[in-house]
Amino acid sequence: MRKKSAFQRGLSAFWWLTLLFLYAPLVIVMLFSFNSSNSAARFTGFSLRWYERLLGNELIIDAIGHTLLLAVVSSVIAVILGTLIGYGMYRHRGRKLGWLIVLIYLPIVMPDIVFGISNMAFFVELNRLTGLLSPGLGTMIIAHVTFEIPFVALIVYSRFVGLDATLFDAAKDLYASPLQRAVHFIIPTLKPALLSAFFLSFTLSVDDFVISFFTAGPESATLPIYIWGAIRRGISPEINAIATLMIGAVALAAVLSLLFNRERRHL
Amino acid sequence: MNTRSSASIDATLRARSRRLMWRDTRHLLVAVMPGAAWILIFLVLPSLYLISVAFMTNGPYGQPSLPLSLESFRNLAGFGFLGWSPGNLYTLLRSLWQTALSLVLVVLVSYPIAYYITTCRKKWRPIMLLLVVVPSWTNQVIRAFGWMNLLAPGTPLSNAAEALGLIAPNLGLFPSNFAVTLGLVYNFLPFMVLPLYAAFEKLNHGLIEAARDLYASPVRAFFVAVLPQTLPGLLAGSVLVAIPAFGMYVIPELLGGGRAMMLGNLVATQFAAGSNWPLGAAGSMLMLLATFIGLFVLRRMGRKLGGGDEVVI
Repeated sequence: MRKKSAFQRGLSAFWWLTLLFLYAPLVIVMLFSFNSSNSAARFTGFSLRWYERLLGNELIIDAIGHTLLLAVVSSVIAVILGTLIGYGMYRHRGRKLGWLIVLIYLPIVMPDIVFGISNMAFFVELNRLTGLLSPGLGTMIIAHVTFEIPFVALIVYSRFVGLDATLFDAAKDLYASPLQRAVHFIIPTLKPALLSAFFLSFTLSVDDFVISFFTAGPESATLPIYIWGAIRRGISPEINAIATLMIGAVALAAVLSLLFNRERRHL
Repeated sequence: MNTRSSASIDATLRARSRRLMWRDTRHLLVAVMPGAAWILIFLVLPSLYLISVAFMTNGPYGQPSLPLSLESFRNLAGFGFLGWSPGNLYTLLRSLWQTALSLVLVVLVSYPIAYYITTCRKKWRPIMLLLVVVPSWTNQVIRAFGWMNLLAPGTPLSNAAEALGLIAPNLGLFPSNFAVTLGLVYNFLPFMVLPLYAAFEKLNHGLIEAARDLYASPVRAFFVAVLPQTLPGLLAGSVLVAIPAFGMYVIPELLGGGRAMMLGNLVATQFAAGSNWPLGAAGSMLMLLATFIGLFVLRRMGRKLGGGDEVVI
């Protein structure tokens, strides 16, 4: 290898600076969650008092419950629907599927705010006309499934693309019925991708604020919504503590998603 | 094997493949329809409803009502009861300006980063990409909150900026337009690094060496040999940054204070109780329009980069 030039060294320094930029806000939140005083500017000593206060706050406990329920239910539905799409896309990749691709990219590309507001307006109007779907966890689950489906479909699709295509023919040649093919071949091969898709959906759901905010009802605040409200009322060290717990939980789910998805060719 | 039997085999195969094709179509629809219908009903239909609201008139309680009109677009352009006011126009221009500025900054940071990752050892590259992406897994609200803590009055960064005379005393770097730009760059950096990295990985270094051998300066070599090769990644990344930045809601709301409103905030306010739904819907239409342009560009770039999935994440 060549000796490192000044250019290389400069790039390397720039890389570390960028990492500092990327992690500073998260580190500051985590650090100050252990601050013994409520100053946001000076760290005065280590304490767990903000975490203790969290445990006594019923609103937060409720919000954690809503967040988990929303994430689990929406991810399960999204994994089922998204896997079917991914499978269909792969088996029929020779066809013109442009309409499907556009439909799948739509939830990804559409700005959150338009997504959330169109859903809110739609649900409010639907509720006014039919009495169905009053804003709450139900409408939030529906909206979360919508934005999770595309990611599941793409993960499953790329897992299929990584497979040897002749395996499908082999299963067919051995006279496996569609059901047998599903049980003995497709689902076992997909298992890592399905788990990965589930945890990615879970992460996306917990991470979402804007869409949740606009589809939520008065009784269904999730953690991000609670944090939003708390910030608007004024910065408090308690927020650091909840935020730290969320950073940890999301990092865990994301790592699980990656571990199950190691076989994928692209990151 | 003689030709006749192979021809008859061909004919049988063709008949069979036609039959399979038909079965295939049903099969495709059964697999794809539940999810596709979900997106159609719960996203496409609501978007269409929102578009129709934009053409209604604002009712007495902020509810959209008939007759159909273009009043909402007049409102969006700043015409109201009290004649014309520039507020909405400023918001619109600020959205465009913030989007453009943060996009340029994101590109300036992403190019060296994406390139640097490709120069590192192969086994480090996935980890380095991961390091860039991990912060974006955290909730947007929390990340903005982190910056609020870093930029608030009295923090080391604000004190330093004050000492350098960049800001007025005791104001702090947040809330401000600057904080919004910073938040946008922070938020969207990974969206540019990933597609650029994908483009850099396929880079033909021979072209750069050829340019250098022909005595092109480094800058010229970049524009002649590097930029054209990474253009699909750059464009894909630009879409992934600019579209959501244009419609950003959380960052201006938290980091900007009241005077850094962007289009997303203008729209959201109109849907709060007793406001103007048609006006909000008209603002949303602008963002939808931007979205469709983005989708179009993304599809073309996805084809050029070969495979849509790396563009997406």
